[in-house]
Amino acid sequence: MEQELFKNIWWVLALPVFGFLIQAFAGKIVIDNLGPKLGRQVMGGIAVLPIAAAFALAAQMTIALAKIPSGERSIILTLFEWITVGNLSIPFEVRVDALSMTMVLIITGIGSLIHLYATGYMAEEPDFPRFFTYLNLFVAAMLILVLGNNLALLFLGWEGVGVCSYLLIGFWYKDKANSFASNKAFIVNRVGDWGLTLGMFTLAFMAAVVLGKDGAEPRWLSYDVLLPNAARIASEFNPWVLTTACILLFIGAMGKSAQFPLYIWLPDAMAGPTPVSALIHAATMVTSGVFLLNRMSEFFALSPTAGAVVAIFGAITALLGALIAFGQTDIKKVLAYSTVSQLGYMFIACGVGAYWVGLFHVATHAFFKALLFLGSGAVIHAMAHNQDMRNYGKLLKYLPITGATMLVGWMAIAGLPFMSGAFSKEEILIESFASTLTWYGLPIGQIVFGVALLVAVLTALYMSRMTYMTFFSGDERWRLIPAHAHGDHGHDHHHDDHHHEDHAHDDHHGPDVHGFFYTDAEMADRAALTPHEHHHDLDESHEPHEVPPTMFIPLVVLAALSVIGGGWLFFGVNLADWLHSAGVVVHHHEAPKSIMYFVQKTLAKPIFWGATAAFAIGVFGGWFIYGKKLPEDDGMDTSKWKAWRKAAANHFGIDKAFTQGSIKGGNAIGILSWKVDKSLVDGIVNGLGTITAGFGNLFRMFQTGFVRGYATIMQVGIAALIVYFVYAITTTGGGN
Amino acid sequence: MIQIPTIDWGVLMPTIIVFVTGIIGLLVEMFRPKQNNNLIVGLSLAGLAAAFVLLLGQLGAEPTTTIANMVFRDQLAVLLQLVMLGATALCFLFSEGYLRQRRIAFGEFYPLALWSLGGAMIMVGTQNLLMLFVGLEVLSIALYCLSGMARGDQRSEESALKYFLLGAFASAFLLYGIAFIYGASGTLDLEGFKIALYATDSTFVMAVFAIALMLVGLGFKAALVPFHQWTPDVYQGAPTNVTAFMSIISKVAAMGALIRVLTAADALQNFWFPALTGIAIATMTIGNLVALVQKDVKRALGYSSVAHAGYLLVGILAHLKMPVEIPLASVVFYFVTYTAMTIGAFAMISITAKDGKEGTRTQDLNGMWRKAPYAAGVLFICLISLIGVPPTGGFFGKLAIFNDALAAGLPVLAITLAVNSVISTFYYWQIAKAAFVDDEPALQTDFAHLNPGLKLTGAICVIGVVGIAFMATPLINAGSTAGRDTMSVIQLEPDVQDTPAIAAPMPTEVNQEVR
Repeated sequence: MEQELFKNIWWVLALPVFGFLIQAFAGKIVIDNLGPKLGRQVMGGIAVLPIAAAFALAAQMTIALAKIPSGERSIILTLFEWITVGNLSIPFEVRVDALSMTMVLIITGIGSLIHLYATGYMAEEPDFPRFFTYLNLFVAAMLILVLGNNLALLFLGWEGVGVCSYLLIGFWYKDKANSFASNKAFIVNRVGDWGLTLGMFTLAFMAAVVLGKDGAEPRWLSYDVLLPNAARIASEFNPWVLTTACILLFIGAMGKSAQFPLYIWLPDAMAGPTPVSALIHAATMVTSGVFLLNRMSEFFALSPTAGAVVAIFGAITALLGALIAFGQTDIKKVLAYSTVSQLGYMFIACGVGAYWVGLFHVATHAFFKALLFLGSGAVIHAMAHNQDMRNYGKLLKYLPITGATMLVGWMAIAGLPFMSGAFSKEEILIESFASTLTWYGLPIGQIVFGVALLVAVLTALYMSRMTYMTFFSGDERWRLIPAHAHGDHGHDHHHDDHHHEDHAHDDHHGPDVHGFFYTDAEMADRAALTPHEHHHDLDESHEPHEVPPTMFIPLVVLAALSVIGGGWLFFGVNLADWLHSAGVVVHHHEAPKSIMYFVQKTLAKPIFWGATAAFAIGVFGGWFIYGKKLPEDDGMDTSKWKAWRKAAANHFGIDKAFTQGSIKGGNAIGILSWKVDKSLVDGIVNGLGTITAGFGNLFRMFQTGFVRGYATIMQVGIAALIVYFVYAITTTGGGN
Repeated sequence: MIQIPTIDWGVLMPTIIVFVTGIIGLLVEMFRPKQNNNLIVGLSLAGLAAAFVLLLGQLGAEPTTTIANMVFRDQLAVLLQLVMLGATALCFLFSEGYLRQRRIAFGEFYPLALWSLGGAMIMVGTQNLLMLFVGLEVLSIALYCLSGMARGDQRSEESALKYFLLGAFASAFLLYGIAFIYGASGTLDLEGFKIALYATDSTFVMAVFAIALMLVGLGFKAALVPFHQWTPDVYQGAPTNVTAFMSIISKVAAMGALIRVLTAADALQNFWFPALTGIAIATMTIGNLVALVQKDVKRALGYSSVAHAGYLLVGILAHLKMPVEIPLASVVFYFVTYTAMTIGAFAMISITAKDGKEGTRTQDLNGMWRKAPYAAGVLFICLISLIGVPPTGGFFGKLAIFNDALAAGLPVLAITLAVNSVISTFYYWQIAKAAFVDDEPALQTDFAHLNPGLKLTGAICVIGVVGIAFMATPLINAGSTAGRDTMSVIQLEPDVQDTPAIAAPMPTEVNQEVR
């Protein structure tokens, strides 16, 4: 009976796939037949339905799962034999346990809300079904990633979500900036995938030596066989082997979860439609790195060095993201860097060994960041697709529901006590402070604690900046834009401007280094071929309007979750125990009497006040700076900005350094290898080719074209054969 | 009183269907509406499909003989017949469009090809040398006519005559060899021949010569060096669809017959094995080397088919060395991929024929990727499979044969195969390059329109080439019993296994050594 229920997991996986197929094959037909308006409504409904149904099934299963004693709380179901090589068998199998179901609920729950929102947001989109095709496919791939019971399936899902992310960032592919952004995301993620694959191979190699040798269990790459044997596997090797494997896996996580230095793709990825930013680039896909570390926590827990590396990179990312956010004027860019910063937070938690806290922050962050992104989408929608916050102001009056829900999101991320963000952030602070992690004598835990506390202040501050600039602060600043001024300001409808106002005019500096497929001239030709839809630009005559219900209902639900979700997960679910049942390492379970546990209990209160102080400093400090009007330091004229803000606006040059460095460096390597190839390899190859061709010419001489010649050659062949046989018979003394 | 032998119609039926379809096709041809062969094509495809389905049902069936041991059905026969039926159907799919473009839209093509196929099916489905010879002649005579089908084209005429003269020459050797076998063993049955070889040593010199002479006849059909020289001329001269057809049918039939004859003669392995090793090395090497300097695509592919005959021979030799341990699965697998990639390549090249003219020089392909991207794409995939680039079928096929050769202890052959694969890259790449550049002035002004049949051929070939990696297991499983049946039928003869006569004559010492 129980098992029967869990078989529904195949439906959870299959429903988004069905949705994807329906969208892909029937979408255009339906819309053509029913007309654009009704057709899009129908297809939108069909897109939301499978995800919502999957959520319902997953919720039912999770409740049943919670009733099972925690020791037996992982159910493995196999669909078919997938790969069988030698004594290794990798079936297509899923693992229903606390960790995977938590992720499934986030993916399908938030996913269905965002799908619903997207039906409103994309209502005017001519390519409506293509959008939902990708979106449904994304959900399917993400579910495979979290549900798979082995690293091969994780990789399948990992690449699947990568492709969907690429397709969705470049959804408005006619806009060159979007194509570049999607290429950038894809290419940067290759670097991460390089790490992931090598890490997987290293682990597989280790497992092959230890488990594969036994021959008893062919599924030695499946989690249920691999993870319980982590300590045994690691003990057979020099600790550096495991550390290398873990760091390589972390490099994979870095790519997908936008950690320094591979974060550079995520802000650009905001070029995609806002629901995509909310679902993929804030709530689900970018957290798959945290999921990976949770899943592999048995291995990571064995390598303090890897933990320290994770924590340090997490801290750098958290700080960097928060600082850069101050230089961004595009509302989605602020949120993007905020996401980068919060992802850093999650890795701080994982690095100091509190994996469950990392996942806790994944969940709460999914609530409030999805809310903030969707809210920003609503604002952008209401403001004629202008994304520059400096053109906003006093929007609360026009957008009461959006505004109110976004204020909730702001409070949650800034860390107002007892809102969801506060719980997870506080846990991260406690865990890092109480951590005993040291590396070369450095108290890593306490160092990252300091950084995390600073970032908490910064987070509250930049989020307040965004909120005040958008919903309060002085005037309705778009009224200052003269009507019918078709400048560069209003031009970027769909994407957010990659280049900021200070160099908006030289869109292409120098030759088109990014031009992978088309030259500028060709792009212009292509653009000319498609009729240009003229949007209403943002100017003084613009009146913002509240968004339709399909768009604000998800906002309200997410706002409610942002308020209560954290407390519920912490007290109601007891997330630490819940995740521990799925094999996630939780420290105080292993040693309830340890010093750390004691410290944690005693320090909980002071740190709570510390976090609250950070919140207060941020919010009130923000009011002090931005509450009344836009300060000159943050105004339209970027030349009046302070130096540090200019630097932040330019991402401290990191993005450019990496991009240009890799392009130039890659170019140099390319030229070098071309020269080696040209001179050395080609020399050898052509030399061999000439020699072999010489032989070919020699043999061709016999190909005279005359039958008599051919017959002669055949005769010679036969003669040779017979001579050989005669020789063979005589030498072996045959007939005698 | 003549005794009427019992007849197992099920075994005969596929071959009968093929012949009868040809006859019906000819009748339709007589009354056909002018310049429209669609009905004949449809009928032929239906006949091929019926035969195919009947044969599929016989996969895995017990080996059996019928009409007084004239027809022999085992797994190998069924598999090879299936390959040939599929290949013929693929050729028919694109033939009609091509023949119209060449302005040789004669409906006789289909009946002739069907009869040729029937002959080939007889060849692989018999243990009787007389049947084998009849099959070979039915196959060959129809092919001679087909090569000369482009009556206005001098090269086509020339190739038909050359093929006929040399073919007659080779057939004479084959027949001579058969006569020797009869002389040596007093039977035309390969099973009887095998038993006789074990039973007595007095006639084995005769038997050795018989094998040598038969090698000539079959080697000619399979295009083994030094009996290959007709191949480039005929491949180039014959209409492209005929080239595609014969490159598969003739080779499969000859290789099938060769397997049977050599299996029967395994007591003499010590004699023919080194000779065939030499032939295999020469076939691979010379085929590839001469292909390097070809300027004509069809000619280059002709030499390529010589080289592939060499690869196949390596697989067959590995099997013959260790008949029980190494089944013919790799060889069957290679036949399937070879069929898909060769027919795919020829079919795509056939679009250079337009309005009665055809240009098959390498540079005639220039600009193909722009004017006919579909064809260029299919051609590219087929060529990289012919090279043996993973993950195409060509790669897995070569890998399987390579592994077999190593497992059978034939490292020289394995290495020659690998080296030759590298050499072959050059000329295949030249063809692919020609299709994908357009900076040189293209002499071919235009390509023929891609009709649905051609597109379907291309699609099936690509699926075959790429998809075979995914269905390798069933194919290998089906092939794993191929060739073993022939062994078992013969070895189960009770008084043969244990007679002391086996150990007495020289050849069997070898035999023991081999086992």
